Amino acid sequence: MINSVRQTVMSVLNKNNYGYISPSDFNLFAKQAQLDLFENYFYQYNYQLQKENARQSGTGYADITKGIEEVINTFSETRFLQHQYQNRFFTPSESTTGDNYYLLNKVLIYSKLLASGTNDALQIQSLIDSTATFIASGVQVGDIVVNLSSNPPAVGYVSVVVSDTELTLVDYDGNPFDSFINPQMQYLIYSTKPVKEAEKVTNSKITMLNNSILTAPTLMFPAYSHQEPTITLLPDTINQLGAVQCQYIRFPRPPRWTYVTLPGGEPAFDQTAADYQDFELPKDDEVNLVNKILQYAGMSIREVSSVQFAQAQETANTTTER
Amino acid sequence: MAYITQYQYYENGGQQPENANWGSYQYVSLEDIVNNFMLMYSGNHSLVNNEERYKILFHAKRAIQELNYDAFKEIKILELNVCDTLRYVLPSDYVNWVRVSLYQNGLLKPLTENIQTNWSSAYLQDNDCRILFDIDGNALSPQNSTIDYERIRGGKQSIYLNQNSKMYGKSGYCVDGAWYFEYGIGARYGLNTETANANPTFKIDPKGGVINFSSGVANELIILEYVSDGMENGNDSLVTVNKLFEEYVYAAVEFAILNSKVGVQEYIIARAKKRKAALLRNAKIRISNIHPGRLLMNMRGRDKWIK
Repeated sequence: MINSVRQTVMSVLNKNNYGYISPSDFNLFAKQAQLDLFENYFYQYNYQLQKENARQSGTGYADITKGIEEVINTFSETRFLQHQYQNRFFTPSESTTGDNYYLLNKVLIYSKLLASGTNDALQIQSLIDSTATFIASGVQVGDIVVNLSSNPPAVGYVSVVVSDTELTLVDYDGNPFDSFINPQMQYLIYSTKPVKEAEKVTNSKITMLNNSILTAPTLMFPAYSHQEPTITLLPDTINQLGAVQCQYIRFPRPPRWTYVTLPGGEPAFDQTAADYQDFELPKDDEVNLVNKILQYAGMSIREVSSVQFAQAQETANTTTER
Repeated sequence: MAYITQYQYYENGGQQPENANWGSYQYVSLEDIVNNFMLMYSGNHSLVNNEERYKILFHAKRAIQELNYDAFKEIKILELNVCDTLRYVLPSDYVNWVRVSLYQNGLLKPLTENIQTNWSSAYLQDNDCRILFDIDGNALSPQNSTIDYERIRGGKQSIYLNQNSKMYGKSGYCVDGAWYFEYGIGARYGLNTETANANPTFKIDPKGGVINFSSGVANELIILEYVSDGMENGNDSLVTVNKLFEEYVYAAVEFAILNSKVGVQEYIIARAKKRKAALLRNAKIRISNIHPGRLLMNMRGRDKWIK
């Protein structure tokens, strides 16, 4: 989609050979435009909910909320949070989960530790501990396996309980989980049941909540407070990697229109480049992206008419969609 | 809570204690109540929206506490031996008493509460009746007040009730089960019916956390029937509600939240209040279990002569 957007933008700007924006400028504007539209989805979602409550929204193909939810869900990620110390866990970030988060939607707590120990034999995609009793301990397919000795600590899942001493492992996406590559690596195995949702409590309330006899956080009703770059889980017995999983909405990845330079100096689109990144918004946002980028580009080349044109298009589009 | 197999129900899946799940189907857990409320009564299209779960938990627990005080017919019973101190320490989950009985010679004898006090705290005083203090400025107290001391050693008078005795109705001292009387001079006028009972009496000291008995209870078994608040000593996993009251708890939580929320129209609050009250009435009638088979025995007694 990114090449199509760039071509349209260039086509509008280039009338009478007025304007040209370089690929690096285009990438900057594209990133900005995508973020604008991404954030706007949440406001649209709220607007549509209000319309639903006012009985001004339909079902089936007229269910606009559903479409917006689907777009937002394309940015949803579920990852285990890296443990900092005691009951603190790092929020999702490039360095811990591979993505920066826009909002933390859900924090899940696994509190039933089934087994722990160290591996003592090596086999691809497996955890082998000759002293373990995995079957007797209740380890089942789908349970969470944490490798505390890897750097950074890694989390996988049981795909096959081979025997009392051997498990086959996969990662979250179902690919082979090859984390136990050395002997004497420390592991934990958590059951996926029960799983409880921790509630976010504001920093101004968390102390009072913790002191409350009736509502103090328990493993049945856990809570967390947030202070970047960590969240603090309560009760404080939630203090190990593998116990806290987070479902969050990540930011879209910055789009990159990559190119090769032709002999005439003209850049030609090259989507095989390693840093190529298309827009992550759906195809029906192409018009909006063009309009947004045109506004930024028009300002850049001091072309007021292109800014006005893009704004008029955007307003018309928004009005129609409501 | 998911439904359990018959094996889990009857034998707790081979685990101990075997009776852990007996009767569990009558109840719904606190966790289920909070979860169900968050799912079914809270959200973008519901009256309750943007409320923290801990508020739901709080109101659900408050509703369960209130139900435990009067609507549930779930009386807890604790038997304890009362020593020479004539004192019964209240159970750790005690909220209010229903009945106090003396278990003696195979018979359960309900005791009456003495509305006159039989205990007191006291301060040490000098000959000029001035209170004595320690170096921290706190008043000094004796181990027992005079009224406590006399009650415990049996030195406090009470009325002897035995129609076959010539001492019937006279004030006397009961010491170790034997009665002693002073020589009476003059007529005796009236009888304090509030304390006139052949059995010992008791008075509850709620702040002190004990029941104080009159003499005659030393080394006897006392059975206390009481109500708790259903909070199971803070263990949320044990807190349950009879299913007959499940819908009421949802209604109570909804009302409590709407009632304390800004900007909610009064008619919505009134509707929630009405729903809550109606559901409570229904649940109380249901749990009363009034049916012909049960009434039959009561009706049979209607022509019985009261002697």
